[in-house]
Amino acid sequence: MSQPSERIALPATPALARVSRQVWLALGIAIIAGSMLPSAVTSTLAITLLTQAVIGGILATAVGLVIRQTGLVSFGHAAFFGLAGYFIALPAKHGLWPLELSIVLAIAMPTLLAFLLGLVIVRIPGVAFSMLTLAIGQAFHEFAVRARLVTGGDDGLAINLPRTVFGVATEVFQRPQTMFVICWVALVGVLFGLHLLVRSRFGRVTTAIRENEERARFLGYQTVVPRALIFAISALIGAIAGTLFALYNGFVSPESLHWSLSGSALIMAIVGGTRLLWGPALGAVVFFFFKDVAGDLTEHWPAMIGLMLIAVTVALPMGISGALTKLLDRIRPAGVRRDG
Amino acid sequence: MAESFAIEGVGLTRRFGGFTALDTVRIAVPDGEIRGLIGPNGAGKSTLIDVLSGRADDWHGTVRLRGEDISAFTVQERRRGGLARSFQKTNIFPELAVREQLEIASWHAETPNVDEVLHEMGLVGIAHMRAADVSYGDRRRLDLALALIGRPTVLLLDEPAAGLSMKESVALAELLRDLASRWKVTVLLVEHDMEVVFSICDRITVLHLGRVLAEGAPDEIRKIPEVVTAYLGSTVE
Repeated sequence: MSQPSERIALPATPALARVSRQVWLALGIAIIAGSMLPSAVTSTLAITLLTQAVIGGILATAVGLVIRQTGLVSFGHAAFFGLAGYFIALPAKHGLWPLELSIVLAIAMPTLLAFLLGLVIVRIPGVAFSMLTLAIGQAFHEFAVRARLVTGGDDGLAINLPRTVFGVATEVFQRPQTMFVICWVALVGVLFGLHLLVRSRFGRVTTAIRENEERARFLGYQTVVPRALIFAISALIGAIAGTLFALYNGFVSPESLHWSLSGSALIMAIVGGTRLLWGPALGAVVFFFFKDVAGDLTEHWPAMIGLMLIAVTVALPMGISGALTKLLDRIRPAGVRRDG
Repeated sequence: MAESFAIEGVGLTRRFGGFTALDTVRIAVPDGEIRGLIGPNGAGKSTLIDVLSGRADDWHGTVRLRGEDISAFTVQERRRGGLARSFQKTNIFPELAVREQLEIASWHAETPNVDEVLHEMGLVGIAHMRAADVSYGDRRRLDLALALIGRPTVLLLDEPAAGLSMKESVALAELLRDLASRWKVTVLLVEHDMEVVFSICDRITVLHLGRVLAEGAPDEIRKIPEVVTAYLGSTVE
C-alpha cells in the first residue's frame, strides 16, 4: 500500500502556456499604464499617496489570498510586513552584509516563519485562528518596542542605504515617481503569479480544501501542508510589501508590526472583496483615498473608515470587485442580445 | 490459511463517555460482496463506517483491508489503499463545478476515470454546473461519484439513498448492483430503505445497541424473530 505524500502533481501543460491572450493583454496594459501614470500625475502628494496605496495593496492581496484559498482570516500579517523591514534595517545598521542579501532574507525569513507557524495554526478554525495570528503579530510588536538596544524601540531604525542595490541606484526607491512604478510592477507581478497559482492543481486543491476539508481528506489529500503553504505564500507577499515600504521610507518602526496595520489590510481586503485576486488591491486604493479625504474633513477619520466598512459589508457583501463583476455580468448578456 | 476478506473489522469498540456505540463488533466482508448494514437509529451503523474508514478516533480493535492491518492508517492512506466512502450528509464541494471536483478527486487516483464516473452516475449533463446549483438527487449522486473515482476496491456507503424519492432509490440500487458487479467492488451499505437493502445485498449484518444481532442472507434475516422485533417490524415482505 502506498504511503501518503504531499505530492500534488503538476499540470500537464506549462502554466504560462495556459494563460489566455486576454490575461497577457491585461498584464501588458497594466504595466504600461502604471509606468506612464507618474508622468501624467503632476502632484507629488498624489503620487506619494498612490505609492503607499500600492504597497498597501500588496499587503491586502496577501491577506486576501489567505481568505480566498483557506477561508481563514489573518489578523497578524503586519508581522511579516514589519519583520521584512527589520531584516533590512538591522543588518544595515550593523553593516553585517550587503543590502542585496538583506532583501533576500527579508522576503525569505518571514515566509519560512509563516510556513512553520502555519503547520500548527492552520489546523485551528475560525476566530481562534484570527486570535492566534493577532497574538503572534503583537508578540513581534512588543519585542520591537521593548528590545530598544536591538530595534531602537519606539524610535525605530533609520536605514542607511548604499548607493546601489542589484546594480540599481537606491535613489530610485525613494523618489515617489520611480518607486510608484517599482511597486506597481511588483503588485502586477504578484497578481499574475497568484493568477497562475490559483489555476494550478495546487491552487485548485487548496480551493477544494477550503470548500470541504473533510471530503478533501477522504479523497486522499493532506490538508495541513497545502494550507500552511498558502499561509507562507501570503507571508511572502506581505514581506515583499514590507521590503518595498522599508526601502521607500528608509525607516522602520514597531508601527509596521502593529495589529492596526493588519486590521487596515483586512479592511482593504474586505472592502475590495476577496473572491477576485485583484479585489484587495482595489480596496487598498479606495482605502487610502478615502482615508486622505476623511483626514482632511475630520480628525476622527478612523470612525469614517469604520462607517465605510459597515456600508460595504452590508451593501456589497462580495466587496467592490464583486459588485463590479456582477454589474459587468449584467451588462454582458445585454450586449450579446444587442449584437444578436 | 485464514480467509482474507476485502474489509474486516475485529473487536471494534467505541465509547462516547458512558455510552458504548460499538461493542466488540466483528464484521468481515468477502471480495465482491454487497453487504447491507441495518439496525435502528443509534445501533452503531455510522460509527462502524467511521471506524472502518478512519474518520473516528479513540476506538479499539483491528481493521484489515485485504488482510493488511490498516488500523493505524490515516484516511488518506486508506483511500490510497482502495477504500472509499460516501457520507450520510451530502459531502461535496458546493462552489466547484461537478466535473472540476471529480477531476480534483482523480489526481490522486491511479485510474483517473472522470468521464467514466460522470457517465455511469448520469452526471454528464450537469458536469459544468456548480454543485450548489444542482438538485438534491444529483448532489447525492455526486457524493457517490466522488467515492467512485479511481475505481476503489472497497466502498463504504452511509445511507446513499437518504432523501431520494422511491424511484431514485430504486435506480440507485440498480446502479450500485451493476457497478459492484462490473467493477468488482466490495460494498458495505448502511441504508434505512429496506427495499434497497433487500434488493441488492448478498448478505446483511444487523446491528443493535452496538452489537451484531444477526448476520445472513436477506431471506435468512427476514426470518429471525429478534431482527423483526428490533428493527424490521412487519413492513418488509
